[in-house]
Amino acid sequence: MPRTIKLHPFTILAIAVAVITMTTAASLWWLSCAVMALCLLIAGWSGHLKKLAVLSGAMLLPTFLSLLLIHGLISRDQSPAIAQWGPLRVTIHGLEVALSLGLRTAVLVVVGLLCGLLIDRHQLVAAIDLSPVPPQLGYLLAASLFLLPQMAEKQRRIGEAQALRGAGTGNGRAGWFQRVRLRAVPLVLASMQDAQDRAVHLSARGFPAYGAHTRLRTVPDSPVQRVIRWTAAICAVLGPILILLLAAMGGN
Amino acid sequence: MDRKLIPQGTAVLGLDLRTFSYLDAPEPVLRDIHLEVQPGSLTVISGHSGSGKSTLGAILAGLLPRHSMDQLAGTLSVDGSLVEFSDSSSPRIDIARWSQHVGLLPQDAGHYLSGIRGTVAEELAFSLENAGTPREQMHLKVTALAQRLRLDHLLQRHPDQLSGGQERLVALAALAISEPEVLVLDEPLAGLDQQATALVSELISLLRAQGTALVILARTHRLWEQEADALWLLDQGTLQRIPDAAQHQIRTETQHQHPAEGAPLMLSMESVRLSYPGASGPAVQDLDLQVSSGECLGLAGPNGSGKTTVLKAIAGLLQPVAGTMSVAGSTGLLLQNSSDQLFERTVLREVSFGIPKKSSLHQCISEVLEQLELESYSHTHPYELPASARRLTALATVLVREPKILLLDEPTEGLDEVGEAKLKEIIAAVLARGGAVILSTHDGKFMDSVAHRVHHMNQ
Repeated sequence: MPRTIKLHPFTILAIAVAVITMTTAASLWWLSCAVMALCLLIAGWSGHLKKLAVLSGAMLLPTFLSLLLIHGLISRDQSPAIAQWGPLRVTIHGLEVALSLGLRTAVLVVVGLLCGLLIDRHQLVAAIDLSPVPPQLGYLLAASLFLLPQMAEKQRRIGEAQALRGAGTGNGRAGWFQRVRLRAVPLVLASMQDAQDRAVHLSARGFPAYGAHTRLRTVPDSPVQRVIRWTAAICAVLGPILILLLAAMGGN
Repeated sequence: MDRKLIPQGTAVLGLDLRTFSYLDAPEPVLRDIHLEVQPGSLTVISGHSGSGKSTLGAILAGLLPRHSMDQLAGTLSVDGSLVEFSDSSSPRIDIARWSQHVGLLPQDAGHYLSGIRGTVAEELAFSLENAGTPREQMHLKVTALAQRLRLDHLLQRHPDQLSGGQERLVALAALAISEPEVLVLDEPLAGLDQQATALVSELISLLRAQGTALVILARTHRLWEQEADALWLLDQGTLQRIPDAAQHQIRTETQHQHPAEGAPLMLSMESVRLSYPGASGPAVQDLDLQVSSGECLGLAGPNGSGKTTVLKAIAGLLQPVAGTMSVAGSTGLLLQNSSDQLFERTVLREVSFGIPKKSSLHQCISEVLEQLELESYSHTHPYELPASARRLTALATVLVREPKILLLDEPTEGLDEVGEAKLKEIIAAVLARGGAVILSTHDGKFMDSVAHRVHHMNQ
């Protein structure tokens, strides 16, 4: 059973943005590795380790391979090659560039995914609704966040209905492709119909609210968290500038 | 409403409709309707499926006519103020403001739920949240209503995890919590168990006592005869007072022969436990069931007791996690919600789905459509069908495969009396050819008329 983290969603997001911007600006391999290790520790504590590892792997593996291909194998870099096969040249500098870019991307992906796993989407929508931002933003976010789960549920029901008629029950890759082919069109049509059916009742219930609105759900917050959020926001903006200035001064 | 409202008489809601036509429709759907709803009254409008009840409900709730699309000629008055519609003038109605006076519970109650709230409590408070009601006040209202409707145990549940009946009850509560002056309820008792039906009736009495007017749209008025202030029949697009309730009832009694002694077993379940993947506990536990050839078994029990789960398991959509289950012969399941079963572009494509053209079953398609009187809808989109025809189309997709065991989940939901008579004929035909029928329904009268025995499920 995954543990829930009782922090305001904005606090988690602010810390995540600060960490990503400062790590990217610092561009130090050991710092990037340390941040990812910390993310894995937090994921382990909260019970999301397997999910984070699988999702990160699925996104980062192709990223690293493409960076290696561009900067490590077919680089036009003139530095001495450590290996060469015809037009393919592997250089130390090329590998360094690929690794540096890859690690920066990895921090962005791992921290972003961890945020997605730690933040309850209902809490996030409630936090936006309760904040002074325009109510349309909460509506847009709610529509985006809940569209995928609703479509997943709908495709499950279409799959059940088709399975009852003996269709889309094949195994393996061929079965998977057959199911995708059979479910795609009904899923799109049913989703459009459902949106049309619901929209009118959402309007009747006053959604989205254009005036003052409230939420039954409470989002835990505290003065300490507010200080953390402001500090993180300042770090997210000024941190990279400071790091780049220090790096420039060091270089001179 | 964009239009300025003009103070009028005492009726809380009034409709004086000359004609109403949908966009591009050759004929008006409704004509010459005069309806007045008094505070605290109960008006019941019955009619067969496709008679225009839902259209009338949508007009009363301000959802129709769609601006610059449909044509309405007449006047609509709410809370003493009047809106005029004519061929040259079609004012746009602000639905959010109109719903403060008139609320509509649609036939598919699930559409009333927002789908973007994480708990039933939040779903109940949704309209109040959008109106800016203080949190403490919302909390008190939600708690009080939930206690009155005995929904307390559902308050922290995710709305997606409700059974069909629970969903309808929650939608009704979500509608009632805003306390509009008029509630229009489209088939409010469909799919509700006895306890939930009693709760809804209790809520209706309570609302009336508080001065809320109710307009109920139902396929039959028989459940409301005692309490209703006005009984109407919507027929051929117009309203008629019902002079004699018995006149409009279709006698559809079908006598079933009891299964023969020693008939072969079609289904056997012993100590079966069923649970959904990821669920914290089993949905059904220690279930023993046996059904023989020629037998019709009814599954009864409160909403959420696992009737649908059992039917899905027999149909092979869910594997038992414990116990033994053997099924002799093919199964066909009619799902509770027809929309879950229909996904093609036309009725013909829907019924033909997955049947190879050279298959012997292909010949059955036209026979089944004819048997259920759906031929005229062959090229209609299933979503455009009246509720009863849609239900029969879903049934046709099942029957065309000639299942040995016919599984029916709340089969009378959405069916009108003609459709119900068809359904009884179908059940009798399946039993006569040596098949078996297992059905779950809260319609006690229907259950008594078709089932040989009833198995009671416990929550």
